[in-house]
Amino acid sequence: MTNRLLQGFRALDMTDEKGFVCGKVLAAMGVDVIKVERPGGDSSRNIPPFVDNDPDPEKCLLWLIYNTDKRGITLNLETAKGQDLFKELVKVSDFIIESFTPGYLESIGLDYDALSRLNRRIIMTSLTPFGQKGPYSRFKGGELIASAMSGVLLSNGYADRAPVKEALDANYFHANGAAVLGSVMAHYHREATGEGQQVDVSAQEVSASRNTNNILPYLFDKRMLKRSGDCQWLGLNPARWIWECKDGYVWHNLMGGKVGAPANRALSQWMDEDGIENPLREIKDWNTFDRSTVTMEEKTVREKAIAEFFLRHTKKELDTEGRRRGINAAVANTPDEVVEHPQLKARNYWVELEHAELGRSMQYPGHFFLSTETTTKIQRRAPLVGEHNKAVYQELLGLSDSEVEELKDNGVI
Amino acid sequence: MAKQVLEGVKILDFSWALVGSITAKQLGDHGAQIVKIETSKRVDLARTDRQVSISKPNSFDDKPWFTHLNTSKYSMALNLKHPRSREVVDKLIQWADVVLENFTPGTMTKLGLDYESIKKQRPDIIMASGSVYGQTGPMAQEWGVDGTGNALSSRLYLTGWPDRGPVVPTSVPYGDVVLPTFIASAIIAALDYRRRTGKGQHIDAGMFEAIVHQTSPAIMDWVANRNLQGRTGNRSLYASPHGIFPCAGEDRWVAITVFTEDEWRALCRVMGNPAWSQEDRFSTLSARKENEDDLEAYISKWTRQSTPHEIMEECQAAGVPAGAVQNAEDLIEHDPQLKEREFLTPIEHPVLGTFGHPTPPYKLLRNKAGVRTSPCLGEHTFMVCTEFLNMPVEDFLELENEGVFV
Repeated sequence: MTNRLLQGFRALDMTDEKGFVCGKVLAAMGVDVIKVERPGGDSSRNIPPFVDNDPDPEKCLLWLIYNTDKRGITLNLETAKGQDLFKELVKVSDFIIESFTPGYLESIGLDYDALSRLNRRIIMTSLTPFGQKGPYSRFKGGELIASAMSGVLLSNGYADRAPVKEALDANYFHANGAAVLGSVMAHYHREATGEGQQVDVSAQEVSASRNTNNILPYLFDKRMLKRSGDCQWLGLNPARWIWECKDGYVWHNLMGGKVGAPANRALSQWMDEDGIENPLREIKDWNTFDRSTVTMEEKTVREKAIAEFFLRHTKKELDTEGRRRGINAAVANTPDEVVEHPQLKARNYWVELEHAELGRSMQYPGHFFLSTETTTKIQRRAPLVGEHNKAVYQELLGLSDSEVEELKDNGVI
Repeated sequence: MAKQVLEGVKILDFSWALVGSITAKQLGDHGAQIVKIETSKRVDLARTDRQVSISKPNSFDDKPWFTHLNTSKYSMALNLKHPRSREVVDKLIQWADVVLENFTPGTMTKLGLDYESIKKQRPDIIMASGSVYGQTGPMAQEWGVDGTGNALSSRLYLTGWPDRGPVVPTSVPYGDVVLPTFIASAIIAALDYRRRTGKGQHIDAGMFEAIVHQTSPAIMDWVANRNLQGRTGNRSLYASPHGIFPCAGEDRWVAITVFTEDEWRALCRVMGNPAWSQEDRFSTLSARKENEDDLEAYISKWTRQSTPHEIMEECQAAGVPAGAVQNAEDLIEHDPQLKEREFLTPIEHPVLGTFGHPTPPYKLLRNKAGVRTSPCLGEHTFMVCTEFLNMPVEDFLELENEGVFV
């Protein structure tokens, strides 16, 4: 199977580390994504950690992980010659993905309006902290700021401390997913009409769009939820979601109604078999259990008993025996446990990519989704600095060897 | 208004949980016709959980949560356990371009609605299945929700303070919202692929696998270096200060992140170049990382004197990345940027009245999204049957009398 969903289309990827994932996903769908770096390589290549803990721009993990399947060229966009070359590339491309501060591309004559005059089919996806227009549009941003400004951060963490961020770059990962969706949506329109457009993605707004749990209580009741650490607000009270077990943590909560009933019964029965205090036993009909009406007293008594139960068991027990019994708990895997996870192995999730220049290979997460008709797995490691200069400039723009050499000598590429 | 991008695309939507609901919403908000199959026998999860006082336990139509996740759809009541429901489903399969579902894997097979079966009726059908573990593998049929995906992917383990256990990675869903961006993208790309090749396909998207891409910087640090990352609070390996600082007011905070020496000098200027900020122990990134506790304490003394928005404005004016830690009131009442983007657009709902509905946060500047409010359960059953499926009214009434549409 060699078909790809978006085979035959080309993207120029001008993003910094905040926008790598969008092009990665498009590339996994078969788009020929060309990462455009400044001569010498992007500064994002200096972000730690590095392979073998060696701070070499070719060993930046973030670069390697999120630029798979892309080709790489260098190009100085601040020279007239560089801008001309870029415009020539735009004429033979379908997408541009960029994450510059709004206004920057206009200042070098490469904004959407200018480029669409060269290629009316071009789609420019702009992923920025706050969007292209509006009072904050030129503010600097990033993961922590997107999370803060979207309202998502405030309710995350303990009441006795500052709010605490989600793991890694969660908000920007989501914003990249939204940028993929916007790009593909615009592509569908373009293929029907021949008409490209700009897609304007705001990381703040993307995060705010999943903040329903905080927005609705304010919209309807002028109520603001409090941070509650290992608890989740569902309905009118917080319910505990994270539990310490013998050797780590698990996620579990009592779901309501028929959906939660079998698991709640199974947990109660296991607690009985353990011979510990079990206030869940008093709930006779789990089918009508409504988690939004649980009182604080009921919650305190039940959660104390459930906490004691989880502390008696290991992650392994809660995973194997817990799944057999169907208590609907999930072990909080550590990163190494993810790598060993039998489900991912069974689905051939991991892909081994060769890094000849590093003298090793590395195992990567292989797909975002699977398809019966098309290949969606990653296939090629991220590009080295300027690795495909010759191939791209010769194949796409028809430059000769000596012309490419001259560009190199003049610092354009 | 320009034509909606997905006008004319028909989606038969069996979703009953967030992943499917949010996927269909993305498509519906841009003009696809979504027929959401529901039954009062086993309702969509979001029709029952009550989060606000207006919602009552005996109604399926008064949950704003459901509305936010289910805009721009038609609701058709159809009891799939009724033997004659299949007559209607078969017509819907002929009508649809895409079948979307998020049951526990195996359920569609039991209903005779798995991809292979549907494909026999419609060889070019596009089907998309969202789940936690994926459609195959030893754990495919395990129960799971958003929290499961967080836990499996190591996202949960990695969220929180180094000296405490993990915290819920936001009080709002994550995998349930992020996975749909990939599923919806795959569906649209598959429609485009079908337009070019005439071929359909089955998309199998698992939350566990999609979210591991988010945590892969930590996972690959293990793969490449056998370095096991843990919880880091708000700090960054390559920026300092990088944190959340207290401000004037109750539970008010500001985010400040400094990635370059220019930004550090700018922050010092904004703070009035206090004597401490000129000390050697704060003069480079590595020095600031070493003395980060003291650094954060000094900055906190300064931030406490102002509101989060004042600090943000001062810092941003000087070129320092900073942002208020906004609460729901800030977002809804004051944020001029979200207003500019029409983040929440007021739409009338037949039961809940007029309130803000989120618009897609990715704006197609040529094709504005057209968000419509969410349907009441079964609101469009008659319309779907008679208008979309061209069913004679007497046939509809016969099936209705048999209790198919409940």
